[in-house]
Amino acid sequence: MKTVKLAAIAALILPATAMVAIAAAPADVIKARQDNFKIMGKAMKGTMDEFKLPSPNPAVVKANANALAAAAVKVKGGFPKGTGAETGVKTDALPVIWQKPADFKAADAKMAAAAKAFQAAANTGDLAKMQAAAGAVGQTCKGCHDTFRKPRS
Amino acid sequence: MSDAPDVAGDATRSIALWDLPVRLVHWSFVVLMPALWWTAEKGNIKLHVTIGLIMLGLVLFRLVWGLVGSSTARFAGFVRGPASIRAYIASARAGTAEHVVGHNPLGALSVLGLLGLLTLQVGLGTIAQDTDAVASGPLNHLVSYDTAVAASKAHELVFNLILALIVLHIAAILFYRFVKQEKLVAAMITGRKWVPAGITAPRMAPLWRGLVVAVIAAVVAVWISWGVPPWGARWPWDKPPPVEGLSEDSYM
Repeated sequence: MKTVKLAAIAALILPATAMVAIAAAPADVIKARQDNFKIMGKAMKGTMDEFKLPSPNPAVVKANANALAAAAVKVKGGFPKGTGAETGVKTDALPVIWQKPADFKAADAKMAAAAKAFQAAANTGDLAKMQAAAGAVGQTCKGCHDTFRKPRS
Repeated sequence: MSDAPDVAGDATRSIALWDLPVRLVHWSFVVLMPALWWTAEKGNIKLHVTIGLIMLGLVLFRLVWGLVGSSTARFAGFVRGPASIRAYIASARAGTAEHVVGHNPLGALSVLGLLGLLTLQVGLGTIAQDTDAVASGPLNHLVSYDTAVAASKAHELVFNLILALIVLHIAAILFYRFVKQEKLVAAMITGRKWVPAGITAPRMAPLWRGLVVAVIAAVVAVWISWGVPPWGARWPWDKPPPVEGLSEDSYM
C-alpha cells in the first residue's frame, strides 16, 4: 500500500517538476547543457589521453565511457524551444536546431547510440575495440557540431 | 634606371646579407601561415596539426639559428635595448642614421615580436583541442581539459596578434620601398644587397651548420608529434600490451 501511495505521489510530483524544468530560465537550461557537454568533452579527452599511454588502463577507459554514456542521454533534453541565441545568453547553439528538429533528433540519437556502443566496447576490455568505438563517438560529436553549432572564430 | 644598386648613388658593391636558412624559413612562414589559417577555418584539424608541426620545426630552427647562425641572423647581432632604439629613431628622423647591415634596432622589435608570437602560438597549438576533445594537439594529453580549452582560446587570440604584426611588417616593407627606396623583398629573395664602400660584410655561417640545426629541429618536432614519449605517450613502434586475462574470444 505504501508503495502505491508513494507511486501516486510521485506520479503527481514528477510532471510538476518536469513543468518546472521546462519553465526554468533559459540561462539555466543553457548552462546545464553546456556543463553536460563539458562532462562529455572531459570523458572524451580522458579516453583519448589513455589510448596514448604506453599501457592504457582499460578501467580508466571504462570509467570515462560510463560517464560519457550517462551524459549522452541527457543531451536530448537540453534544447527546449526558446533556449537559443535569441535569449541573449551566450550560446553556440544554432537556430537550425529548432528549425530542423527531426535532423537534430536523428543526430542526437546517433551520438547516444555511439556512446552506448562505446560503453559496451569498454566492458569487453579489448583496447582496440574501445579505441574504434571511441573514435566513432568522436565522429558523431563532430557530425552534430558541424551542422548545429556555431563554427569557432 | 639601372636595376642593380638600390641605395642611391653611393652603393658600390653587392654583399651577402641574408643566408639561405633565414630566407628559406622566412618564405616558408609566408606559405604556411595562410595554410594554417585555412585549415583551421575549414576545421581540417588533422592537416592543421601536421602543418603546425612543420611550423614548429621551422620556429625551433630559427630560434637556434638566432644563436649560431650568420651574423645577420643572430639575436645578439641585432637586438638592442630601449635607449639604442630611441637613439636610432632620432637619427633616422634626422637622416643621420648609420647604414645598418641587417635588422636595424627598430626592425629588431618586429623580428622579436613575430618570432616570439609564433613560438607562443605553436606552443599553444600543441596542447590545444577542439571542444570535442577528439582533434587535439600532440601534447594535449599532458594538460587538463580546462587548460586545453583555455589554450585553444589563446591560440585564436594570438593568431589575431600575429595578423596585426604581419600587417605592420608589410606596411614597413612598403614604407621602405616607396619612401626610402629600398627593396627589402628583393634582398630577402636573393639574400644580397648593394651597399656603399666601407661597409663590412656580415659573416655568413657555413651551410653544414644549418643542416645540423635543421636535423635537430626536425627530430624534436617529430618527437613532439609523437607526444614526447615516454611522458604520457608511447613510442610509435610500441604496441599497447595485450590486456591480461582476456583472450580475443572470451567476451564474444
